Amino acid sequence: MSTPSVNTSAEIPAGFGEAAFEAFLATREEPDWVTQSRRQAFKRYSELLEAELDPEEWRRVDLRAMRPDRFQLNASSEITNDSTDSKSTETLLKGQAEFAGQVTHVDGQLASNDLSAELAAKGVIFGDLAVVVREHSELIQKYFMTKAVDSETDRFSAWHAAFWTGGTVLYVPRNVVIETPLHSLITLQAEKAADFSHTLIVLEEGASATLLEETASTTTDNLGLHVGAVELILAKEARLRYVQLQNWNHNVWHIAHQVGRVEASGFLQWTVGGIGAKLAHIHQDVVLDGRGSEAEVNGVTFATDKQIHSFYTQQVHNAQGTRSDLLYKQVLRDHARAIWRGMIRVEPEGQQTNGYQRNDSLMLSPTCRVDAIPGLEIEADDVRCTHGATAGRVDEEQIFYCMSRGMSEYEAMHMIVEGFFQTVFDRIPVEVVRETLNQAIIKKLGFGR
Amino acid sequence: MSDFEEIASIDEFGLADRLEVFIDDTPVLLIRLNDQYFAIEDVCTHDGQPLTNGCIEEGAIVCPRHGARFDLVTGKALCMPATKPIQIFEVEVRDHKIFARLGK
Repeated sequence: MSTPSVNTSAEIPAGFGEAAFEAFLATREEPDWVTQSRRQAFKRYSELLEAELDPEEWRRVDLRAMRPDRFQLNASSEITNDSTDSKSTETLLKGQAEFAGQVTHVDGQLASNDLSAELAAKGVIFGDLAVVVREHSELIQKYFMTKAVDSETDRFSAWHAAFWTGGTVLYVPRNVVIETPLHSLITLQAEKAADFSHTLIVLEEGASATLLEETASTTTDNLGLHVGAVELILAKEARLRYVQLQNWNHNVWHIAHQVGRVEASGFLQWTVGGIGAKLAHIHQDVVLDGRGSEAEVNGVTFATDKQIHSFYTQQVHNAQGTRSDLLYKQVLRDHARAIWRGMIRVEPEGQQTNGYQRNDSLMLSPTCRVDAIPGLEIEADDVRCTHGATAGRVDEEQIFYCMSRGMSEYEAMHMIVEGFFQTVFDRIPVEVVRETLNQAIIKKLGFGR
Repeated sequence: MSDFEEIASIDEFGLADRLEVFIDDTPVLLIRLNDQYFAIEDVCTHDGQPLTNGCIEEGAIVCPRHGARFDLVTGKALCMPATKPIQIFEVEVRDHKIFARLGK
């Protein structure tokens, strides 16, 4: 089942060519089906590199400066807990609340993992994908890139499928309810390190859980690359709250495919926080497969300097009586840029559905730029679908009013930005997430000043 | 002001009149025009996409998509639809090597 000659101390060449792929495979100890799927994905990746990217999704995203050949996968499994406890890691959530379990990854390798004994006894699996894929091979094979993220979608999904390094797995058996949130931390540490972590969450029928995941850099300057994937698979009547806070430093390239699929009467609440990265592009799909399933998607992003935050979101209604509600709030300053392309798609079977999408952008500087493009594709004739996008500057009169009441300009700006985000904060029921996002915003407002 | 950094050598041009290079992760278009060299940020300020294949006319580059024109010396937008200037870089040539730094 496993490769006999595994060399975890070998150096993997920089880049993602054939030599790097073979060297990477030599460091992995994985079931045959994983190796086969990697080889197939690498072949597809090589083909897709020659193909044009979908202009609808990528025309506004400039990837020329990414230059993947600079980045290198880490083969070493010698990651210690010390490396993640370093004060230099700007983790936003760790230590802020009580968690039922935690997983930490550094440069694509597992650093630490724990789960309460009570949950483990109930059959909950929470750990590193690289480990779980060996210990629960049949279970993972059923779900891994078979139902949500498709490795064939584009060069990035194929690239990820060939080179995924590890990531967080959460499996919750039928009718198991996890009250206390779980925490997953993904960090980049070394200069020019590449992280290809994969988050896989499977909730069986009637299960419930909350996972708070964050990405962070241990330095403010090191270049990094993250090509990730998130798969959220909810069976009938399952309820998941998933939060992802992207807080890399400003030299990290972040590309991800993220898909949530919800069966009948299931509920997915998905919150995305985008603070860091040089360029972040997220392809985020929410697919409502079962009758009466619901999804709520919240987005909070804040870009400064020359950061680029790009989102390509889709809400797909495949069944009757489904509801999706997406709200993104984006703030920009300096020369930052935000791109949001949203789509609600209703299939002919999706009668009596309710789809909503809205994107609001607040520009704090005259030099930033927003491209917000909402869209609808409706093939059913008895639906309610609405969408909208707004973009605007801070009203000078609001600042003047606040300052005439004794506030400084900074305090006035913070109040206005916090007020702008409030409608999306009100939708986030996990207090620690609201508070963490608010703190990150306060910090960001002072950034570069 | 940042220091000059080497970005290319004259030999790399061959018969071409332009080279695509990077300065601090910024895509830069290095243009040779009558033995003079110009370096500009390779992004149109109108639509945010590359100027790479734009025609050079009367000391200006023309965006290949919508026709915006930018002065190669000052970066100034010379016609609609662009209204904002492009970033330019100061260029020096020493011993067949080309150095550049962020312009004023």
